Amino acid sequence: MARQSLTRGLDAAIEFSGVGISLPKRRRRKGVGKRQRLRRLAGDSRREEVWVLRSASFSVLPGESVAVLGGGLPARQALLRLAAGTLMPDEGHVRRSDTVIPMVELARALDRRFTIRQNIYLLGGLLGMTPDQIGAQVASIAEQAGVDSLMDRYLGAAPAVTRQRMAWTIAMATHARAYAVDRALVVGEREFKEQCWVQLYELKQRGTTFLVATDAPRPLREFCDRALVIIDGSIQAAGSVDEGIELLREARAQGKIDEPPLG
Amino acid sequence: MLVQRDLQRRYSKFRLGYLWTLLEPLGMSVVLWFVFSILLGPRGLGLQPYLLFLSLAILPWWWFSKGINASTKVFAKNGGQLRVSLLPTQLWVLRVVLVSTVEFIFSLPVILIAIAVTGFWPGPLIVLFPVAIIVQFFLMYGLALLIAASAVVIPDLARIVKIVLRAMFYLSPVLYSVSNIPAEFRTLAELNPLVGIFGLYRVGFWPEEVNSVLAFGISITVAVVLFIAGVVVFRRIEPRILKEA
Repeated sequence: MARQSLTRGLDAAIEFSGVGISLPKRRRRKGVGKRQRLRRLAGDSRREEVWVLRSASFSVLPGESVAVLGGGLPARQALLRLAAGTLMPDEGHVRRSDTVIPMVELARALDRRFTIRQNIYLLGGLLGMTPDQIGAQVASIAEQAGVDSLMDRYLGAAPAVTRQRMAWTIAMATHARAYAVDRALVVGEREFKEQCWVQLYELKQRGTTFLVATDAPRPLREFCDRALVIIDGSIQAAGSVDEGIELLREARAQGKIDEPPLG
Repeated sequence: MLVQRDLQRRYSKFRLGYLWTLLEPLGMSVVLWFVFSILLGPRGLGLQPYLLFLSLAILPWWWFSKGINASTKVFAKNGGQLRVSLLPTQLWVLRVVLVSTVEFIFSLPVILIAIAVTGFWPGPLIVLFPVAIIVQFFLMYGLALLIAASAVVIPDLARIVKIVLRAMFYLSPVLYSVSNIPAEFRTLAELNPLVGIFGLYRVGFWPEEVNSVLAFGISITVAVVLFIAGVVVFRRIEPRILKEA
């Protein structure tokens, strides 16, 4: 039923073989002037695509936590979505042995026009939970996200932090065995962040797989067992997050990438 | 089960204005009935009683045009959710079709009102009414898949569809009866799947309305062909849809 196709009996949790993906280039904001409009009239609206990932092969074992560094935000997000199956590769294929929850800008999937309760059902449903499963957990989700007193209010006015807390809590409530996470590995205020870490380490202990993409890898040094570095669209493996950071620095020194330095 | 959840989600929006789903087509029928029956006089357009005749095709037409119009915008609207959704992508299209279907079913009492007002009761062929609904549903789902996928590749499609739908309204026997179409164009008109479907809605009241099984056969064939084409095309464009999300 789900879009995610699972390969039962696969040794790895997530396995990329020869994966390549090209994404449409973001349109520049520049040039809305007369000339640009004329050009558009003349039919010069060619869609440009960029290969953000090319012949990527790697596998993540069950229970491993792997950091993904470099490559720019679109490339990292594409990799996460490929891992979760919400993006289909142009080349090669991705296999996974269990459901991978895509936590890519998850808070943006919440709908402002619905109440908080409806949003919990919405996002839970998108992530593959059945209404019954969500119903059984809706109270604990609300409590953990700190929205239990606002359940029937519309999400519209809720601050971004609240939305992020909700998204994070719902994703964790799926009890999936693997997560593909972007910057929102830990969210919210300091107190909530600490809670996040506690829960994440607990999950890790229990053998949950994490694929974490970030541009600020320092906090991940302890959490992640190893790192993958995207340089110029190809994947390079590093033993640890520190090594990954070093790899990126070298690549930048050689002028291969033009990203701001890491934090 | 997931579809049910999706529907539930939409219901919450309807609660505000369920009455509108009744009032809107009823008002429209009355206006059109007034224009075409009273103002223009009995020119022999359509069949009598005209109010009932009109509402029997106008409700399915609204269902059709609303569903198809909505399908052009599905993927432009739901990017944020599409990016993280583990549900099949087709479900988004099914959702807009189902929403318009529910609206259609809710608006059916309009026909009962029209029957009560005109006192014109249907014959035994009314059993074909649900058949028409089923055929139309599949026709719409196939077409919606096709259009939703193509709209991602062709951004202008939403506008084109709007114009084509407007034309279809006048080219389909909503305001008039099939028998109003000049004989030399009738075969051509019967290629339009809506001709057969609207005929089925009306046949319970006017047995003469479907004089050829051909139109009905064409409707079913077109519905099946569109359904298959929709599924196939959608599969091919799906990676692109996900990329643009």
